[in-house]
Amino acid sequence: MTGAHSDPIVPAPAAHPASAPVPRPSGAPGEAPRFRSASMRVLDLSLGQMLWSRRTIFLALVVGSPLALGLLFRILSAFGVSGAMRAGGVAMGGPAIFGSMVWLLYLRFIVPVLGVFYGTALIADEVEDKTVTYLFVRPIPRSAVLVGKYLAYLVTTACVVLPSVVLLYLLVAPLGNGSLAGAFPALVKDLALLGIGLAAYGALFAFIGARFKHPLVTGLVFAFGWEQVALMLPGYLRRVTIAYYLQSLVPHSMPAGGLGSALQSLFRDAPPVWVSLAWLAGCVVVFLALAARATGCREYVLDQ
Amino acid sequence: MPIHDQSYRRYAGVRTPPGRSWTVIASAGIKAMLAKRKFLGLLIVAWLPFVVRAVQLYLAANFPQMSVISPSPGTFRQFLDQQGVFTFFITIFTGAGLISNDLRANALQIYLSKPVGRLEYVAGKFTVLAFFLLLVTWLPATLLLFVQVVFAGSVAFVAANLYLLPAILIATCVETTVVALVMLALSSLSKSARFVGVMYAGVFFFTAALHGVVQAATRESGFCWMSLRASLQNVGDLIFRVPPRSDTPAWGAALALAATVAASAWILERRVRGVEVVT
Repeated sequence: MTGAHSDPIVPAPAAHPASAPVPRPSGAPGEAPRFRSASMRVLDLSLGQMLWSRRTIFLALVVGSPLALGLLFRILSAFGVSGAMRAGGVAMGGPAIFGSMVWLLYLRFIVPVLGVFYGTALIADEVEDKTVTYLFVRPIPRSAVLVGKYLAYLVTTACVVLPSVVLLYLLVAPLGNGSLAGAFPALVKDLALLGIGLAAYGALFAFIGARFKHPLVTGLVFAFGWEQVALMLPGYLRRVTIAYYLQSLVPHSMPAGGLGSALQSLFRDAPPVWVSLAWLAGCVVVFLALAARATGCREYVLDQ
Repeated sequence: MPIHDQSYRRYAGVRTPPGRSWTVIASAGIKAMLAKRKFLGLLIVAWLPFVVRAVQLYLAANFPQMSVISPSPGTFRQFLDQQGVFTFFITIFTGAGLISNDLRANALQIYLSKPVGRLEYVAGKFTVLAFFLLLVTWLPATLLLFVQVVFAGSVAFVAANLYLLPAILIATCVETTVVALVMLALSSLSKSARFVGVMYAGVFFFTAALHGVVQAATRESGFCWMSLRASLQNVGDLIFRVPPRSDTPAWGAALALAATVAASAWILERRVRGVEVVT
């Protein structure tokens, strides 16, 4: 937010005669931009900051690191060492390996971590940098700031995660006589699933970031503490997690053996697809609304 | 109105001997953390497993029908394993901002302009983190051994498993050293404590996830060196003389940990500098 020469929220007027009124993006002259217009302007501003930051480049490298593993599998396969990749004595096909990687790396780790990092930072970063004042003194609703930043988060994380998954698919799916075309529907479902996961976790952690003072610890406790524990508990507790609904949508079979088998047993009572989708959509709407409300009501005290 | 002499005066306070400055950084850091209520709450929660285990030891010692839960060396290994989750959160809570906050406030130059060497600075920060990690690992595990003797009214168990005392010390020290150095190295890489926390979670969970993928694909457990957590578990199993959870040779896991420590030390050596000279 700092150092902007032109005002990114309220656009600079074009060359007009001095006596002519300055056109506004919406409404009558002097009227504040509407919610949607304000959100889009915040999105525009935040997208540049998020996409081209060193942190995003670092996270892109982390998210892209499964490609190295995929490349390794491919090289092993090219040298005829694909026999190493087997399950229960049977050689594991490319689509199965791809499914395992999406399941273990992306859904279980990358999506929650990106949600924690970017979601909690939406407002907290501005507070930390002491630039939140510049956003909040604009003639736009505070909730529009949050929604705009949330949309920027969605675009950024989608740009970081989805290409990596597609490249991984191209590397891994053909292994073991796997067919790219045959696994394509699963890829499309995976991409959609990752998008839904990013949206749900992002909304939840945006709320945590807007509401709590130590959002990172709270977010990590939820993602790697509560969700991991609740999924293994009997009864309804697992329904109070996002992972429960997300994992019920996974098109691949879960990795078998050890922890994988234990996890697989958890899906005996997996909810129907439409129920999971409805819950996840509800999570996005409710948590985004709560986050917007928290941003609007809370007084952010900046450290001196 | 009296006018006090404000001109140069010799320092009249106590002079800390050279090489002791790290204690000032350590004690200030520990006091700062203990002043946080949420952190105290986390420490209290981290001691709850100790209470549960103490009850288990009491029941096993006093009710013969409960002999099924009587302690074994594996009990103490499991206890330290269970403390892993608290170790993770305490490491992030305490360690994420240790160096990054100083970088953010440009305080590193101020520290190093005093008679404090880089090594002392790192040692002071390391001590802060190590203190709290040992507080939730070594101390309760050792106390548990003591509680067992008290409840059983006999030293037979300890005498039969005398190696447990050094095993607890060595295993917790290894874990603390690795975890604290990794966190300090990450903390020196960024000015944002939040980003450092995410990076640490990445190192911890992402390496475990990569290990999980390779294990799922190959059905072999010999790749635990890929994961920081699995390597620590493997070395811990060796120290406690319990059957290892993976086929990775102990020297492989130890080598992976040594490489991690060396990489962390190298990063700290590169990043903790008072003045950055650009040539």
